[in-house]
Amino acid sequence: MLLLEQLPVNYAPVAFQFFVAVGFVVVTMLATHLIGPKRKTSDKLTPFESGVEVQGNARHPMSVKYFLVAILFVLFDVEVIFMYPWAVNFRELGILGMLEMFTFMIFLLLGFIYIIKKGALNWE
Amino acid sequence: MSSIIIIAITAIVVLYLGLYKVKSALLPVSVLGLLGAAASLVCVWDKNISYFNDMLVFNNYAIAFSILLIATTILIFLLSGNYFEKISSNVAEYYTILLFALSGGVVMVSFQNMSMLFIGIEILSVSMYIMAGIKKTDSASNEAALKYFLMGSFATGILLFGIALIYGATGSFNLVQIAGKASEQPLLFYAGVIFMLIAMTFKVGVAPFHFWTPDVYQGAPTLVSSFMSTVVKTAGFAAFLRLFGSAFTSVPAIWTVTLVVMVVLTLLIGNITAAFQQNVKRMLAYSSISHAGYMLIAILLLGQASPNAILIYSVAYSIASVASFGVMVAVKEQKGSDDLSAFNGLGRTNPVLAFVMTVALCSLGGIPLTAGFFGKFYIFGVAIAANYTWLIAIAVLMAAVGIYYYFKVIIAMYLRESENSESIQLSLAYKFVLIFCIMITILLGIAPALITNIL
Repeated sequence: MLLLEQLPVNYAPVAFQFFVAVGFVVVTMLATHLIGPKRKTSDKLTPFESGVEVQGNARHPMSVKYFLVAILFVLFDVEVIFMYPWAVNFRELGILGMLEMFTFMIFLLLGFIYIIKKGALNWE
Repeated sequence: MSSIIIIAITAIVVLYLGLYKVKSALLPVSVLGLLGAAASLVCVWDKNISYFNDMLVFNNYAIAFSILLIATTILIFLLSGNYFEKISSNVAEYYTILLFALSGGVVMVSFQNMSMLFIGIEILSVSMYIMAGIKKTDSASNEAALKYFLMGSFATGILLFGIALIYGATGSFNLVQIAGKASEQPLLFYAGVIFMLIAMTFKVGVAPFHFWTPDVYQGAPTLVSSFMSTVVKTAGFAAFLRLFGSAFTSVPAIWTVTLVVMVVLTLLIGNITAAFQQNVKRMLAYSSISHAGYMLIAILLLGQASPNAILIYSVAYSIASVASFGVMVAVKEQKGSDDLSAFNGLGRTNPVLAFVMTVALCSLGGIPLTAGFFGKFYIFGVAIAANYTWLIAIAVLMAAVGIYYYFKVIIAMYLRESENSESIQLSLAYKFVLIFCIMITILLGIAPALITNIL
């Protein structure tokens, strides 16, 4: 295997970058703490909401319907990932590839019709 | 391949039949679809067809196990009658999810490529997570689903680690090519084998990875537990043997020690814990762990006879399990409990049910003249051929413990008095399945040669 024969010295740039990344964070945090001015006010301890005054609690109970719709959205959204490789290789895959993708989409469509008929998307 | 397509399409048709409220057609369509799938498998017997660049290979091994899985599913479906309707109104979804699980099982027994193994296991497992928690308002069922899901996803993760390491060591997902390159990167390869061993033993419920089994079996609806202990377990073992028998044979020393410890632990924990159970369903769950131990012996000592031994054992075990779970469902429906005391006096009130249960338990215990005896006989034969006499001694001892707790039920049925003497009314399909199961059990107990030489 080509990758496994790499010597440890070849990873030196990775280690170097790692140390630079960590070093940058440590140095900037220390520097701002040491040389920055300190003004303590009560406003700084409140949650920041784009400059708008905070109203109520963030931990509200939310309707479970929201999760159902969100999950279904994620499901169909992820399926789109399978379309990209097909679109890129459309010519090479030819008729067979198209038939296979159509089968895949028919199954998705059947699932979608099932969801609608079951009333999973009815908000009320 | 056509069988997988038929099963998947049947599942979708059943789903849509449920959507359009054609309740009476659900069972006939499912059973017809399954029969079609089995017929399509019989047609390709001895043909050794491979699909998608050897990702799936339907050799006789795959076909025999697929037909067993399909037949067991048909029997469980026929038992379901109006069982699912009592649990919830979404009856079509039960059939659909079980059919999807079955299609995953068929992929698991016919894979030739690690990615198909993974896909098969996932299709089967995800369906079973849903089925375990299908009683939405029952907290035991919810607990079962959550436990099964969390532990199962960890096992899946470990399986993926194993596949990744083996791919790193050999550069291939194909079982044949993996076997050829096993010694190129020994360290990576051995680590991968052990990871996969852990994941597969988890999926079939072998000690020390058995902790989910009793809770999940008890929490799930009884017919779903019977599906888990037959179809899921058979598919798991067939995949296990196919994986280790064809890809990892060149390095047996690295995993035999691990596996032999697991076998002994499984036999001890499964049988001894089962002996203390007062609930018959939980007892059958522990006994299914112990049966996994016996089947593991054939994988431990890979040989010419291993596939046959596993097949015979799975046939005997599946048929007997379906019958015993079936009787349990009927008893629970009348008495409202599946404790040992619910079986008191069943021999007098329901002689047929009691007889079916007796034959099924004898077969599970391995009494001669039943199929279970020859299941154990061929498994022990594999071990004798490999000179593992001490392991046989432990296994036989544990089989004796098994007979002790199976006979507790038989004693309750025939020697104890029951409080009420109403007999249990059974539908025609129900009677047919139970009688069919014990006929097969006794037939294979008298003439095992019917299936001993087909692989």
